[in-house]
Amino acid sequence: MIEKTPILNFFTHLILLGGLAVAFVPMWLVFVAATLTLTEINSPPISVIPGVHLLENLTEAWTRAGLGPKLLNSLAMAVAVAGGKVILSSITAFGIVFFRFPGRMVAFWMIFITLMLPLEVRIVPTYAVAANALWPFQAIIDVLGITNLYESLTGVRIAMEWNLLNSFTGLVLPLVATATGTFLYRQFFMTIPDELFEASRMDGAGPIRFFREILLPLSTTNMVALFTIMFLYAWNQYLWPLLITTDRANFGTAVMALRSLIPTTGDSTGGGTPDWNVAMAGCLIVITPPLIVVAAMQRFFIRGLIASDK
Amino acid sequence: MSRRVHYKVWWLGGALLVPQLLLVFTFFYWPAGAALFWAFTLEQPWGGGNEFVGFDNFRAVFADTAYWHTVARSFIFAGLATALAMGGALLMALFCDRQLRGHKLVRTGLIWPYAVAAPAAGVAFRFLFAPEAGVFAVLNQLHPDFWNPAQIGWHAMAMIIVAYSWKYIAYNFIFFIAGLQAIPRSLVEASAMDGAGPLRRMRDLQIPLLAPTFFFLLVINLTDSFVDSFGIIDITTGGGPAKATTLMVYKIFFDGFRGLDYSGAAAQSIILMLMIMVLTFVQFRYIERKVHYK
Amino acid sequence: MKTRMMAAAAALLLTGSMTAQAAEKNKFEMWHGLTGDLGEAVGEVCGRFNASQTEFEISCTSQGSYDAAVNNSIAAYRAKKNPTIVQVFDAGTLDLMLSGAFVPAHKLMEDNGYKIDWTNYVSSISDYYATSKGELYSFPFNSSSALLYWNKDAFAKVGETEAPKTWEAVETVSKKLQAAGYACPLAINYDTWTIMEQFSAIHGIPVATKSNGYAGLDGELVINKTKFVDYVKYLKAGYDAGIFKIKVPETGATNTQAFASGDCQMMMSSVADHGTVGRTQKADMKWGVSFLPVYEGTKRLNSLVGGASMWVLQGRSKEEYKGAAAFLNFLAQPESELFWSTRTGYIPVTKSGFKFLKDQGFYDKAQFKGREVALESLNASPVNPDLSRGIRLGGFIAIRKEVRDGLQDIFAGNVGVQAGLDAVVERSNVILRRFEKTYANKQLP
Repeated sequence: MIEKTPILNFFTHLILLGGLAVAFVPMWLVFVAATLTLTEINSPPISVIPGVHLLENLTEAWTRAGLGPKLLNSLAMAVAVAGGKVILSSITAFGIVFFRFPGRMVAFWMIFITLMLPLEVRIVPTYAVAANALWPFQAIIDVLGITNLYESLTGVRIAMEWNLLNSFTGLVLPLVATATGTFLYRQFFMTIPDELFEASRMDGAGPIRFFREILLPLSTTNMVALFTIMFLYAWNQYLWPLLITTDRANFGTAVMALRSLIPTTGDSTGGGTPDWNVAMAGCLIVITPPLIVVAAMQRFFIRGLIASDK
Repeated sequence: MSRRVHYKVWWLGGALLVPQLLLVFTFFYWPAGAALFWAFTLEQPWGGGNEFVGFDNFRAVFADTAYWHTVARSFIFAGLATALAMGGALLMALFCDRQLRGHKLVRTGLIWPYAVAAPAAGVAFRFLFAPEAGVFAVLNQLHPDFWNPAQIGWHAMAMIIVAYSWKYIAYNFIFFIAGLQAIPRSLVEASAMDGAGPLRRMRDLQIPLLAPTFFFLLVINLTDSFVDSFGIIDITTGGGPAKATTLMVYKIFFDGFRGLDYSGAAAQSIILMLMIMVLTFVQFRYIERKVHYK
Repeated sequence: MKTRMMAAAAALLLTGSMTAQAAEKNKFEMWHGLTGDLGEAVGEVCGRFNASQTEFEISCTSQGSYDAAVNNSIAAYRAKKNPTIVQVFDAGTLDLMLSGAFVPAHKLMEDNGYKIDWTNYVSSISDYYATSKGELYSFPFNSSSALLYWNKDAFAKVGETEAPKTWEAVETVSKKLQAAGYACPLAINYDTWTIMEQFSAIHGIPVATKSNGYAGLDGELVINKTKFVDYVKYLKAGYDAGIFKIKVPETGATNTQAFASGDCQMMMSSVADHGTVGRTQKADMKWGVSFLPVYEGTKRLNSLVGGASMWVLQGRSKEEYKGAAAFLNFLAQPESELFWSTRTGYIPVTKSGFKFLKDQGFYDKAQFKGREVALESLNASPVNPDLSRGIRLGGFIAIRKEVRDGLQDIFAGNVGVQAGLDAVVERSNVILRRFEKTYANKQLP
């Protein structure tokens, strides 16, 4: 759009530059810290000019934390979680918005309320579920007396067990449920004009076709935004992978490895050398793949690429 | 939140929800139910036994004045962090969407804080805001205690609000940008033809059309600011100085998983959950009415 | 007929799996709470054990922090998927003792045919962890005590050649240092382990009634009625006068960093920081360590141990316990202690280990010189069972935080010293009573 608004343009640049500065300063400090030696970093005030030890710190972080295979694990996990979330939330929201059936609102709220149950506060029982994902169902049939009934009839006692500890499924599955995604899709589907819906019905398109051929293409920007966000969310998961994987060689993720580089401070017994330079170098490595994803996904935000809008 | 027209095959709609409901039941409600049980008992952490105590845990929580201070601080934090994170992101998104020279660079630059793992961001902010290092060291030499989050409560609070919002500005920015992209170009152009300037188009066209996104982000931001602040607090202030940055979720985590008082923490979780549920319900009831879905 | 065939088949399967097991190593897990450099050191210890024999294989996993090691073990224990061994820090000892979730150390060793001379443990270390009957439930592992670090260069500038032995002397030398232009004579922080626990132990004053909690779960905090009140007043006055500076991560540098960089001339910290200071110090800086100061006229008692011990959890197989016993026996060997003390700043936990290190000339090497002071401090007197054994209070992690919060309030000037400590005691006693009620069905062993 060609308009002449020089004053406004000036302020636009000013505001955006300010925002950019806020976004970059903390990361600049991380970068600088990754280029210093341990002695330099431990002498306050912290330097704002990079040193010359970036490469050795990167190498040290890479080998010490064994980042190679862990980055691959993180990638697989983040793609699976983000993809799972996008698929699951779109079909759930489709069911909620375009159908009318008893319990619809209850189901929406059931999913929505999970936003308020952060993992931190339900970690102990969640671990028990991960140790046997069929425990809830076993408990239900036990209470209902089905287990005993079945045992008296057949002599076999039902014991369901599905251990998710130290498995890829266990890393991914509990993270796939998503209130945020479902809510986002719901918000988007609500803006779809009724006329579009009617028109597709007139054409004789069933729900599945409407979903696939109309809704999905229309929701591309939202889908990409959601995927990006969820990829970053999954990539940065720490508590859950830490808890359910003890076989770090096979299932360790990059962020877990990063945390192992950062010494625990504040313990009275002390003794951990705070190798902040190595930790920050590790941080640079660990945030690179998400940055590539952000940059790549950006292309789909660019207006020119969305055909319907040319 | 009802559409006027629907598919009539209700069983298909129900079936679409089953996978997600199964996951939610197994990994959220069942564990939360177990935690709920603790709220009414005195639970020994290693499972050595428990005693049913009725509402005693809740009484103990409510009788603690420090707890009420924590609640008040949580609301202050939620309000300010949400305002900063959403306001900042909206401003950036609207101006970035003007697509002046360099906007692509700005767009990438503003998203990337969300890619930074929380421990790294926390450490960076601790360096940045330390009173004896960086920019503040200079100001502190001119005027002692001009900035000292290690001792002055509200400085520490301001610090965690900024550090927390930093990441959420990026989060909100992504959705605002996506929302702006979804507004048909033709609509904006038509408005420009009518002689509406950029600022006016923002106010009269873009912001109203962003309402569904705005509502989505408002709910998510408010909820998250109650439950997601743990990481940043733990790394930057540890809840101090003198509890000045101890928010509800940090207290839950500390009491439960540092102090091993599972029952007290469970009771606090229940209170927090009920509070957010009421808050969310209010938002759906009163704010969503003002959101126009086409 | 049928059943006999089945039994034969089962026996065959059993022998088959047994031979397979014999060929394979007997594996078991250990979870610990150390990260960074120390986490790697634990990994190396485990590697040494695996290389030392062919029967067992231990896999050691860091859980990210001491708290996480405890919490994750609880979660795993409740789901019956716990590791065989878990490292638990000093303040978590009482929770474990009352949990009933462990195999006592002496029982494990007896069952597996090891003869351990329990008196070989340094008494102020083993007493800290032992029951009232003197039995060890867990194995002391990484152990330290607190020391005064002092900068010899700065002291020389003001004509001093020795570390101050009393708090009166600390004040005098601090003023001299301040007059000579040093901005931070003594760095202090809110670490209750040095400020409250060590201070009280070496001065022979109680932190809580009931022998600091060792004699029962019904103890109460008394820090608002002891010499500790004067000590806080003293520190606050020094802070107001600018001779003591607070150094915490939030100010930009911890006390260890501030001391190592030469910005602060004295600090109180764990001997485990000895290595850190050596590695990160300003080039050519001369410094030393000595006992924590006491008030003039005080009869000094032993200082307290800090660190963590190894607990063996219930619910694992006989073979795993055999491996655990072998591992813990391995840890107590003098060679293992030498490796651990060389690699980290921690001290040996057995008398024979200390002797071995001494005979090897460990304490004569420049970078380790001074670490023996920590053991001397732990052995400064026979352990007084009521005052210098340790602290065994329920919810002690939460109480430490209350004390820290109280000190922050006091140093920020929000509240007076006496009023601040009164509030701390009141809140801490609520925690103690809640703990007592939670474990109403348990006896303190």
